[in-house]
Amino acid sequence: MEQNAETRRMLPDSEAQPKRKEDRPLQVAPPSKPKAKKSFARGLIYTSLILLAIICFIPFLMMIVNATRTNGEVMAGFTLIPGTALLDNYATLSEYINIWNGFKNSLIISVSVTVLSGYFSALTAYGFTFYNFKGKNAMFIFMLVMMMVPAQLGLIGFYEISKTLKILDTFIPLIVPAIATPFTVFFIRQYTQATLHISLIEAARIDGASELRIFHTIALPMMMPAIATMSIFTFIGSWNNYLMPLVLLFSPEKYTLPVLMGFLKGSQVAENLGALYLGIAISVVPIMIAFLFLSKYIVSSISAGAVKE
Amino acid sequence: MKKLDRYGYLFIAPFWVVFLTFSIYPVFLTLYYSFTNYTGSPGEEIVGFANYARLLTDTYFIEAFFNTIKIWGINFALQIGMALLLALLFSDLRLKLKGLNFFRSFFYLPNLITISSVALLFGILLDWQHGSLNMVLMKIGLISDPINWLAEPVTAQLSVSLILTWMWFGHSFIIVMAGVSGISTDYFEAAHIDGANRWQMFTRVTLPLLKPILLYIMITSLIGGLQLFDLPMLITDGIGSPDGSLNTMVLYLYNQAFKYNNYGYASAVAYGLFLITLVFSAMVFKGMFRNERAAKKEA
Amino acid sequence: MRKLVSLLTIGALSVGVLSACSDSSSEGSSDAKKDDVLKIWSFTDELKEPIKTYEERNGVKVELTIVPTADYPTKLKPALESGVGAPDVFTGEIAFLKQWVDAGYWENLSQEPYNADEAADDIVPYVFDLGKDKDGNVRALSWQTTPGGIYYKRSLAKEALGTDDPKEVGEMMSTMDGLFEVGEKLKEKGYKLFPDEGSIRWFAQGADPQAWVNEDNELVLTEGKQKYFEYAKELRERGLTALAPEWSPSWFEGMDKPIKVKEGGKETETQVFSYVLPTWGLHAVLKENAKETAGDWAVTSGPSPYFWGGTWVGVYKDSKNKEAAYDFVKLMTQDEEFLTDWAKETGDVLAFTPVTEKIKDDFSDEFLGGQNNYEFFLGEADSIKPGIVTKYDQQLDTLYGAAVTSYVEGKKSKEEAIEEFKKQAKNAYPDIVVD
Repeated sequence: MEQNAETRRMLPDSEAQPKRKEDRPLQVAPPSKPKAKKSFARGLIYTSLILLAIICFIPFLMMIVNATRTNGEVMAGFTLIPGTALLDNYATLSEYINIWNGFKNSLIISVSVTVLSGYFSALTAYGFTFYNFKGKNAMFIFMLVMMMVPAQLGLIGFYEISKTLKILDTFIPLIVPAIATPFTVFFIRQYTQATLHISLIEAARIDGASELRIFHTIALPMMMPAIATMSIFTFIGSWNNYLMPLVLLFSPEKYTLPVLMGFLKGSQVAENLGALYLGIAISVVPIMIAFLFLSKYIVSSISAGAVKE
Repeated sequence: MKKLDRYGYLFIAPFWVVFLTFSIYPVFLTLYYSFTNYTGSPGEEIVGFANYARLLTDTYFIEAFFNTIKIWGINFALQIGMALLLALLFSDLRLKLKGLNFFRSFFYLPNLITISSVALLFGILLDWQHGSLNMVLMKIGLISDPINWLAEPVTAQLSVSLILTWMWFGHSFIIVMAGVSGISTDYFEAAHIDGANRWQMFTRVTLPLLKPILLYIMITSLIGGLQLFDLPMLITDGIGSPDGSLNTMVLYLYNQAFKYNNYGYASAVAYGLFLITLVFSAMVFKGMFRNERAAKKEA
Repeated sequence: MRKLVSLLTIGALSVGVLSACSDSSSEGSSDAKKDDVLKIWSFTDELKEPIKTYEERNGVKVELTIVPTADYPTKLKPALESGVGAPDVFTGEIAFLKQWVDAGYWENLSQEPYNADEAADDIVPYVFDLGKDKDGNVRALSWQTTPGGIYYKRSLAKEALGTDDPKEVGEMMSTMDGLFEVGEKLKEKGYKLFPDEGSIRWFAQGADPQAWVNEDNELVLTEGKQKYFEYAKELRERGLTALAPEWSPSWFEGMDKPIKVKEGGKETETQVFSYVLPTWGLHAVLKENAKETAGDWAVTSGPSPYFWGGTWVGVYKDSKNKEAAYDFVKLMTQDEEFLTDWAKETGDVLAFTPVTEKIKDDFSDEFLGGQNNYEFFLGEADSIKPGIVTKYDQQLDTLYGAAVTSYVEGKKSKEEAIEEFKKQAKNAYPDIVVD
């Protein structure tokens, strides 16, 4: 992270580059037929962009259309005209798999993870920012180093400790570890250092507010923008997590949506392509609809997450 | 004040309790297992460095490493190329393209979908005989024979790379775009006055200024890419078919541990993966900064 | 005010989370108080009917969990090891049976109060023996015996072979050469002998199949097993299959309807003549998927006898409901009334001799055009050699199948593919000796 700051400090150097060139008189673009040429280029670019958008969407389109067709129709060829087997496919699908239950499990886990991660990361970041205790810097650096360690490294140990604590096949090992998310702590701390001044806190102390109360009433609301930004990543990450629930959950009624998808592949639903497409579509379409409403927010969070860091 | 500072411990205590239990302890426990022949039932024996010795000569692990790099590399080159091109088009002052928000959201959409759904979807779309993709390609005459995408190592790896590109180029585009819009227009105007053409503006102005952003994308993408698992696992049979070409490092780790119950060896695989990730991240950092310094000297 | 609201929301949510956690944990560990629910795990939906009977008779509620075969051992093993979310009764497929009887997950049924050994005389010997651990204690029982055959469509047989009589068709296919000849005759009429190349694996092994791993823990790759390569390649090259891999959607589709095959740059519509499946293939696979062609089927023997699969069922060692659990096992394996109904309804070939003796003579199955499949399969059952079952079967069969596929598709030479298979076997099971 420090390297990043370093790069940014180096940036002004490159600004010397354009100026270094020998001075030339201001050159205006050639006057002949610029309009027609420009609009042709723009037309071409728009066409390619739209084509790219279509290519991006084709897999989803195939999925949605095929979800309404019978196994035989899907295998016979692809058309854009929807079939009439949607309800049959749904009946086949729900005979073997309760996909809405998967939604429910994923939602419980992801919401809990997001809330826990947001709240406790803010708490930890606050502790790291506004108190000077022994070993603070060492702890912070240790946390940053551990941030670089991929989750897979501890996977087997994690599984074993869950076994020892008898929390396998429950949501606990999928939810509780969210209390400790170093990157979120780091991000919120950076944000807090820049936006929240200690004088505010000291003023509250003079008013006799307790430390925890100051955190809850003054600091937490001010940290909200940073928490919200990270929450989007946390939620998406937890929602899409496959490896952990795959390893930790055994009972099908507890499976999250991603694990249920893998399950779908091996189940008897996979004998019927139409039903299989429908199962996938059900896992995908609600996310697409949610995205319609949230896209602006998500896009700006991704931008912020990268640029601020 | 001094007394109050004790509250610091209180604030960070929950974090550390959970962090030590669920992050740190498992890492050391895995380290311990990597020196044993643990198979999932109690009664493991210490075997010294045997697992690591096996790891160094394990052609499957080495193959998994190269598979992972290949799949990630192709995907990254395409993804970053597309992201840069799109960002340039949309930031071009002369073109003044509209619809940035629309396209940005649209291109990003595949990234939100659960990877296991994506894997399942493409697993059947790419089916040799009855997949919708071959049917469409044959109908519009692009190919005459169905391509057995997921049965040939080359096409299977390429398919996975392209799917990853499809999933991630929108994401990179958003970030690059954020970086590009952060560049002050003064630079471009100055370059324009100096008579720089579009290519020169790109290589001399935009690219150097984007370096931190590109570094960020590359590191996060690399770390994610080295952990590639869901897609290769679910798109074919889960053991890396065809011909081991989709066997990635984490898939290998998973199969060794949870399919074959070689927990001891799998722990060593985990540490091997970790070291590789470290080395690669260091290389990326170093490479980026050597260029930076070289560029500075040139200037 | 707004701050307070957001604070309250967070508080409420975290309380919700914590209670959700404790909910799920209590669910997992308190089997004791839910004595009236019997938890059963299996890998097919076969058990649905017997469960209904069981619930009616005993007034006990049963919760059936179905996990697909590929994930079944990976999911069940940790549950059994840790006891968390573990079932009271669980089934085991023959491919992982050996591993499980010796692992001690199943209760010892030879001891009081079960005394399963008393049933020894009533159960087909090989089926009974496979359920014993290395000390000879009964751990699991099965209700079925699983010799294999070839199910074919009568109408296509009449058209291409001139007869639909199982004896005559079986005679034609009694050697490998004969089998390929039948394939050519079908090809002339535009039909395909088999859905895929894997169909031939049982016959390639010949009449004397061997275990994957012998007593000395050595991997044994018999000539018979290696011949699978050649036969599979020949099937592909002569165009005798419909390129529909086993258990794929097109494999199922081909049972009932014509399917499209793309080969050599053109697309043709064809019909699949036969499926190589054992006893359970009839009710669990064919009857489920072939509706329009019901009644047009018959079963006969191939070049050599084989057996495939079989499901054993036992009681989990730490179950809190052992008595009720064993009642279910007994119903499934030794209840005359229930098993008679089951056999008549499904056509499943039982291992429980008091029932098979009673029904075999005048059995007839509508789906098979009235053929007596019972008599046929009981005859085939005599040639089953249970000694070839090992704990490595499931993974090794998968790896070997992949090796053959890579040869058939021309990606590897036979030698390369075999080398690769040996390497993979060694990698998955470091304790096996591979030459």
